[in-house]
Amino acid sequence: MPRRCAGLALAVVLALTGTACTSGSDPSASPERISRNDAQASLAAHPPVPTTARIHRVHGRLPDARRKAVRLQVGKVVDRWWDAAYLGGTYPRSSFPSAFPGFTAGAEKRARSDKALLTNQTRGPHIDSVSATRKVVSLDILATGKQARTVTAHVVLRFDSSGDRAATTTVRGRLFLIRKRGAWRIFGYDVAKGSK
Amino acid sequence: MKGLRALALAAVLAVTAVVVPQSTVQPTDVSLVKIRHAQGVAVGGSDVVWILAIGSDARPGQDMRRARGDALQLVGINTRTGSATAIGVPRDSWVSIPGHGREKINAALYFAGPQGMAGAMRNLIGIEPDYVMVTRFPFFEDMVDDIGGITVTNPRRFSDPNLKKEGFAKGRIHLDGYNSMAFSRIRYGLAGGDFDRSANQQRTLRGIHARIRSQASRPGFIERGVMTVLEHMATNASPAELFELAQAVAQVDPRKITTCVVRGRIGFVGAASVVFPDVAQARRLGREARTDAALRHC
Repeated sequence: MPRRCAGLALAVVLALTGTACTSGSDPSASPERISRNDAQASLAAHPPVPTTARIHRVHGRLPDARRKAVRLQVGKVVDRWWDAAYLGGTYPRSSFPSAFPGFTAGAEKRARSDKALLTNQTRGPHIDSVSATRKVVSLDILATGKQARTVTAHVVLRFDSSGDRAATTTVRGRLFLIRKRGAWRIFGYDVAKGSK
Repeated sequence: MKGLRALALAAVLAVTAVVVPQSTVQPTDVSLVKIRHAQGVAVGGSDVVWILAIGSDARPGQDMRRARGDALQLVGINTRTGSATAIGVPRDSWVSIPGHGREKINAALYFAGPQGMAGAMRNLIGIEPDYVMVTRFPFFEDMVDDIGGITVTNPRRFSDPNLKKEGFAKGRIHLDGYNSMAFSRIRYGLAGGDFDRSANQQRTLRGIHARIRSQASRPGFIERGVMTVLEHMATNASPAELFELAQAVAQVDPRKITTCVVRGRIGFVGAASVVFPDVAQARRLGREARTDAALRHC
């Protein structure tokens, strides 16, 4: 059917023209080289892993500038959740009182009852530190009237934790976002967590 | 259930692929990882959202919001518990239409548009829908085709000389867009007439739900679905609201779906054959499902 062919062609073009970006540290700012011996090097903290945010597909029409804005904005929303729920703060700890920044009030209420999965609460009291090894966000954007209306963020977070219960944990799934009061908000989630 | 298993399996495989090392030198390193899974969606301010789904019999060129409403299902979704319910109303039900006196309920759309139909349903069942979605049958066929068809469980064989001469087999059958439309529209040959047809529409809704649930994790599936709904439906829901609703539908637990058809007796008003609905039962269904989208019995 012509309509579907056109849609497919558009989707392919959009997928091919979709670009990825990283947030967090500025990629253009190269780290300062300092002289140090091997012992010092082994004690140095791992550099923070930047979040790679890319657009998987835009459904509908959305100008490039707005695509970029959505990618950056949603990437930051996901980053804020990861930092509040898994990566930020000091360990050991068992309390994650503000783990869901960027969630709608209703979604935060749901998420609080899923804290065992949506935060590092179960492992938190038994570890000393966490360090991210992989942070990827892939977006499906729905746009009408040249405005982004909704986003599905496919997310993968992997981090190592050290301490009594050292492990590699992977958080993987989807976050559902809409724009509310001028900002992207997470209204739903479908997330799996596993540790090894 | 099948969709749930597939989802669980997919989640296990996907996460295991990430956390299990690639090396085959030390097989003891490979372990089955305990995967836990959470999902939730919050739509609007309340746990339950009500949608009136209308299949309009509009002819080509006719405004589908001003034709007769042939298929009428009041669908409730509880985003907190994952339950959902559908209350079906026979199209010939003789009811009060706000501002238009008593008429067959299918005429409410013609006389008073989607809002009028919502009012007629409120008078009968006692629930005011949050959203009204109207589609016409050719559009409905396109939408089912767009999601790859559906599977329904058909309790008895039936056919129709015009819509489906060879008939529908008993048991689990796969339906494309046209056959989904025919399965939902045929009254001929059904012992329970309009009531059985409404129940078949609910089987179709279950099939659509199962398909959405099983495909929801595919990147872009829900977005494409919303686009096709925007293209084929008249609704008071915004694109963002449709997206929220679609995600809520995807998270409904198929084990928690309950359906009932409003009962009634066949009679006549003048020369017209009508259904006199069991208003007490309709109200009871409304009271029972209003706050949790779950029916205990019909």
